[in-house]
Amino acid sequence: MGARTDRAPVALDALTVTDEGLSFTLRREHDVVVDVLLDGRRIWSFWSVRDTEPARPGRRWVAWPPPLHRFLDGTTTLQLVEHVTGEVLATTEAVLGGGTGRIAVVDKDGRPLGLDKSLTLSRLFDSRDAEQVAPLLDSIETVVSALQQAGVEPFLAYGSLLGAVREGGLIGHDSDADLGYVSGWSEPVDAILESFRLQRRLVEMGYWVVRYSGMAFRVNLREADGALRGLDVFGGILRDGHLYLMGEVGAPFSADWVRPPGEVTLEGRVYPGPAEPERLLEATYGPHWRTPDPAFKFETSEATRRRLDGWFRGTRGGRALHWDKAQPAVLRKGLGPSAFLRWIRRLEREDHRQIGTYVDLGCGAGVDTFTMARQGIPSWGLDFRPSHFKVVAHRAVRRELPATYRWTNFNELRSVLPTGAEIARSPAPRVVTARHLVDAVDGTARDLVLRFAAMVCRGGGRFYLQTLRATETDPVTGEDNLRPVDIAELVTDIEARGGRIVHRQDVVEPPAGPKHVDVTGRAGSNELTRLGVAWD
Amino acid sequence: MGLRDSAERVRRLAELEERVAELEAEVQECRQVNLRLAELTDVVTELLLPVAQRDEGRIDEVLRRYHDSVGVPPS
Repeated sequence: MGARTDRAPVALDALTVTDEGLSFTLRREHDVVVDVLLDGRRIWSFWSVRDTEPARPGRRWVAWPPPLHRFLDGTTTLQLVEHVTGEVLATTEAVLGGGTGRIAVVDKDGRPLGLDKSLTLSRLFDSRDAEQVAPLLDSIETVVSALQQAGVEPFLAYGSLLGAVREGGLIGHDSDADLGYVSGWSEPVDAILESFRLQRRLVEMGYWVVRYSGMAFRVNLREADGALRGLDVFGGILRDGHLYLMGEVGAPFSADWVRPPGEVTLEGRVYPGPAEPERLLEATYGPHWRTPDPAFKFETSEATRRRLDGWFRGTRGGRALHWDKAQPAVLRKGLGPSAFLRWIRRLEREDHRQIGTYVDLGCGAGVDTFTMARQGIPSWGLDFRPSHFKVVAHRAVRRELPATYRWTNFNELRSVLPTGAEIARSPAPRVVTARHLVDAVDGTARDLVLRFAAMVCRGGGRFYLQTLRATETDPVTGEDNLRPVDIAELVTDIEARGGRIVHRQDVVEPPAGPKHVDVTGRAGSNELTRLGVAWD
Repeated sequence: MGLRDSAERVRRLAELEERVAELEAEVQECRQVNLRLAELTDVVTELLLPVAQRDEGRIDEVLRRYHDSVGVPPS
């Protein structure tokens, strides 16, 4: 974090505003936090040197952040204000795009939005009144109490602790609340096990918990006004005289700076804090934490990042995937098998096999699962994105088909193995399919997918997969996140787990179409390999 | 210092850089065992007991409940 070393006036002049960005002269290289106000309301903040680029001599330039682009159509009074002093540095009437009205950065219900420090467009606290933040304060109390019941000592952390200690309230340019706790365990493995137990306790209490990593999760609450609120809970360990708190902190730390719990006041309510909150704030934000900085960027050291990554991260590989979602209207009628499933059914018929149970891994919209269930075959559709199979799953329920759709995280052993154990109890022979899954996931998930297949197909089952094939001419990764796979390497992996390749087909195929969203939009060629694997 | 010495130092430095990168990767691999071990231990401790007790009626229920506790969103 930069800091001003002298207090001479900031000499920012000659502001010009275009559809692309802002430029101004900065006679002295003052690096200060500048708020951008549109019609008097803060929308965004940046550091005048750190976040800008040199333009013509003496000028600096900064692009509009992409989340704002869609709003920049009309007229506005744009002001640059030094955040710390409140001094207005420049004012101009700006006309952007071709629009004629006033520019309004608001959500679809007309509620004001602004950018937080991660440049995410949110409903920031500075645009909410006391009545509007009360549900959040209630939620913090609820989750604090639940975590205490579950056996840890939570405290306000990150922006919530900073606001409480520095201002006694929520920080205007923040949009969520964070809690932390420090485990009594110092070995990562024990602290992760404790985090799993905490999650289980919270789920038993009726909360919806989404895990980020081995040491952090979000507790989702439905507030009185119906809005869904997520509170992030970050675990930490004390180890070798250091505190490692997910997701950014690694610093020399003493146990008595954490325990016994202290108290901090946020918006007039008392919450638990660490024993010495100032110590945690310095470890989190550096020595200048008392100076407000709405454009703050964490400068987590490489050593801390490697430790937190190595110990705790790796359960959320699927988060990075952005699959197209099939349109509900497309899924309401005429559901038929993908070309891949037709290929499988033909092979199974030719081999005179009767499928006992069908399982589709990474089922997407779930159409193939639906198609098999319609034939009376008990069928499972497993996917990381339940919103994608929701429409077809409801349809299967209405028609009383033997189909089970289930959220599954292929990066989490705790998700994959128990589901495999459950399905391994269903009628044999079982057929497991994976269309564009091994080319979508990372090595950890691929390993678990093959483990699942081995588990469920043992004793006469078959595993069929379809993947993009790496070729010399098409080693690219598509914009659809699929990475062509080295087939020889994949076959070696399968054989190492006792699988035997019984079918192989190399094809070039067009995208499967809107009902089986997979490689649509892919720029490269669709050279595919299909494999059929048997486990005896 | 002769040219040969300089060349030798550069070569050794490159070797050391490579070795450090390897060591970092190896340390990271060791760290990653924590999460795997925790996941495996959790599965075993939560699911092994009903299986060991051969309580057929409870196995499906326990598997289902365990799955729900891992993170399934509400429908």
